[in-house]
Amino acid sequence: MPSATVNKPRPSELLSRLTSAEPEVKVRALREVKNQIIGNRTKKLSFLKLGAVPAVAGILADSIDDVTDNNNCNNDSNNAINILVQSAAALGSFACGFDAGVQAVLDAGAFPNLLRLLANPNEKVVDAVARALRMIYQSKLAPKYDFLQQKNMEFLISLLNSEKENVSGLGASIITRSCETNLEQKALFDAGILRKLNSLLEGGSLSQRDASLESLATIFRNNPEVISKFAGPEIGRPLSSIIDLAKDRYPRTRLLACMCLIVIRNASPHFLQDIGIKTKLIHILLELLDDPGQVGDEAPFAFSSLIAQKEDLQKLALEANAIDKLHHHIKKGSLHPRRYEGILLALADMCSKLESCRSKFLSLQVLNLLADALTDYNAGVRAAACICLKSVTRSIKNLSAGYFMNETIVIPLVQLFLDPSTSVQVAALGATSNIVVDFTTRKSIFVQCGGMKQLVQLAKSMESSVRSNALWALKNFVFQADNRLKEGVFSELTASLLSSLIRDPEPSVQEQALALVRNLVDGCINLIEFVFAEDGLILGAIGRQLQCASTAEIGIQGMYALCNVASGNEFHKEAVMQLLFTQMGDKNQSFVIKFLQSNDSRLCTATVWTIVNLTCPSSPGAPGRLEKLRNAGIVSQIKNMVNDPCVDVKLRVRTVLGQSMAFGDN
Amino acid sequence: MASSKKLISREEWEKRLNNVKIRKEDMNKLVMNFLVTEGNVEAAKKFRMESGTHPDIGLATITDRMAVKKAAQCGNVKDAIEKINDLNPEILDTNPQLFFQLQQQRLIELIRNGKVEAALEFAQEELAPRAEENQSFLEELERTISLVAFEDTSNCPVGELLDISQRLKTASEVNAAVLTSQSNEKDPKLPSLLKMLIWAQNKLDKKAAYPCINDLSNARLEDPTF
Repeated sequence: MPSATVNKPRPSELLSRLTSAEPEVKVRALREVKNQIIGNRTKKLSFLKLGAVPAVAGILADSIDDVTDNNNCNNDSNNAINILVQSAAALGSFACGFDAGVQAVLDAGAFPNLLRLLANPNEKVVDAVARALRMIYQSKLAPKYDFLQQKNMEFLISLLNSEKENVSGLGASIITRSCETNLEQKALFDAGILRKLNSLLEGGSLSQRDASLESLATIFRNNPEVISKFAGPEIGRPLSSIIDLAKDRYPRTRLLACMCLIVIRNASPHFLQDIGIKTKLIHILLELLDDPGQVGDEAPFAFSSLIAQKEDLQKLALEANAIDKLHHHIKKGSLHPRRYEGILLALADMCSKLESCRSKFLSLQVLNLLADALTDYNAGVRAAACICLKSVTRSIKNLSAGYFMNETIVIPLVQLFLDPSTSVQVAALGATSNIVVDFTTRKSIFVQCGGMKQLVQLAKSMESSVRSNALWALKNFVFQADNRLKEGVFSELTASLLSSLIRDPEPSVQEQALALVRNLVDGCINLIEFVFAEDGLILGAIGRQLQCASTAEIGIQGMYALCNVASGNEFHKEAVMQLLFTQMGDKNQSFVIKFLQSNDSRLCTATVWTIVNLTCPSSPGAPGRLEKLRNAGIVSQIKNMVNDPCVDVKLRVRTVLGQSMAFGDN
Repeated sequence: MASSKKLISREEWEKRLNNVKIRKEDMNKLVMNFLVTEGNVEAAKKFRMESGTHPDIGLATITDRMAVKKAAQCGNVKDAIEKINDLNPEILDTNPQLFFQLQQQRLIELIRNGKVEAALEFAQEELAPRAEENQSFLEELERTISLVAFEDTSNCPVGELLDISQRLKTASEVNAAVLTSQSNEKDPKLPSLLKMLIWAQNKLDKKAAYPCINDLSNARLEDPTF
């Protein structure tokens, strides 16, 4: 007769039974706690809050010496075994997929006891304990394992050698979680661990194979030396067993095998480079997208790791209809957020370099889809949508057609400037930076949506990455924009904010601020007045920053800003001259000479351009300026560069020298 | 009426069949695999004695698994859950779909027994939190709860939930999950072979007329017709 009673004791009642002196009551209570929490995150949380974990850990600690041999079959020893098994199982369940639980188990001091119990004579106890430890090691919070200590390595080997699946699986989990450095990878190789993992790969059970694949990938990551030793002739043909597993019947095995092969490919240019394996990997991963579970959620991330930054693979994937397939999955809707994020990032990677991919994607009418993703409740999805947008907006063809500067996209994007998550803000700024390079005259839409004002606000953010990305977007926004737009930006920014950003503690912010000034003053002589506002705040800031430029990029942008100012009238040119010659301090050498002698040809070019503008023959003050430059040794420095290997430098140097000869110099 | 299909007579067909050599051991393995996957321990033991075929799963693990399956088949879901957790606590902890299905079955059993108040309380305490995390769970929960609203459950749109077949479906999912966790294949090979037979016959039908098997239960060859 079916029984479906729901009578069960309240949690607090259960916990008090845990403290009972009677072993049988204790066992029943432990088992009941375990059964209530398994599969039930809500219950795990409520038991956690009631202090269940320290209570159970305490019972484990108290009973640890109660089972000393496997021969007693009486009631007492049965109870002792059950207490250990049930408390370990309960702790394992608290730790399963639940970081707060893992933390609680570690805080309660259960970890060393669980390790000790691995040596217990009773099989069921060892099984339960190994499982619990495996759950802990699946979490980022697991204690770091020191492979470099001899006895630790021996212990690990003994785990891997065990016939029990849970114990060898624990060994593999420890490697997957804790192995990080090349040194540790080599130590594991030297201890023969790879051979052991390889044998599990070929002769082990399903879970042993999967665990092995994960561990191997961890040991191979970014370590071409270990890979070539493993794939070398001594150990047979181990790579082929991994390749075979990529065609295994179980989807999870296929995914893990693919991930392992991708790690090998990415670390070592010698292996798995033929087109056959590339095509195979692409097809297997695209097919795994169809899996409805966790495997399908993770597949797009593996796909990204395969194709990212690699044009040849992106091309192959395009031919394999990757974009259609990825798009098809997003269109289905109600995706798990992890999967949604993964697919968007995969599309971003596909469209990152190739115009053919971007065209394909945009031909699918995806603006509304992206707009939806920009407003998703999950931060990872929002950020991924921005990153995807950043990739597709690299399409100059579509940018110049004004395809992206419309309210469907711009309004949700601007809203993300206020997103609580910094990574979403930065990603939104990245996408914005491309969109505002709109070559049509539709930039005003961005102003109407409040985007420009928001960018200025973000330029004051406490996060340096937000500041620099906001400035980047503003820089692109004012690129070849009309005067009215530029004046709007400048009055919103103000001279004092801009000059303080030029002197920001972060080099990346300094660079973007200088580049922004460069774009602001470019084009029209009236705009040059910006740098003179409020007693020349900005010009002064540029000068001071160029004196102590910490990167070439800062020098380049600063010089181009000065170059643009120097393209103005006499007053402007004289102001630049003054800047170049003051603040020499005790060095007695203008930063100009330092820049001209730089190894970075871009910096040389920018500096020579400035000199070109300062000495252009049509302005009356040119001869005087030329004289000053000559006296400072700048002209002779430039003469030395007349055969510079960089064409840009060479041409501009010859322009200067040509101009100087117009004044009767030789 | 000209036919482009080739005609194969019964004589010729039977000759071809006889030329195919299949080892007795392989046939026995198929049978054993079927008995073991379906969980028929007694039959498997007897078969082992009679044929000397070794099962590829330990018979002891089958007993455990069968206890779980039986509890689910009888509607003793709480018991089934406890047994699975004793066998392997990871299964339900890492398989939200299966766990929800079991809890849903518990709810169905409560409703079946007319324990409406207990059912609603159970739904609220155990199932609602799961449904919050997952849209498809929410839909299933709503479907199940709507059973309560119908007086005549045999005619209502969700009546199939009360059917025995629902229990059997749950029981077989549980069986499959346990098998997979023990690294064993969850489907017996024999039904797949039969499916392949039917598929092959369908393919051949387009090209030839031959003695085919229409009734799988007796495997009798029927004469070819045009």
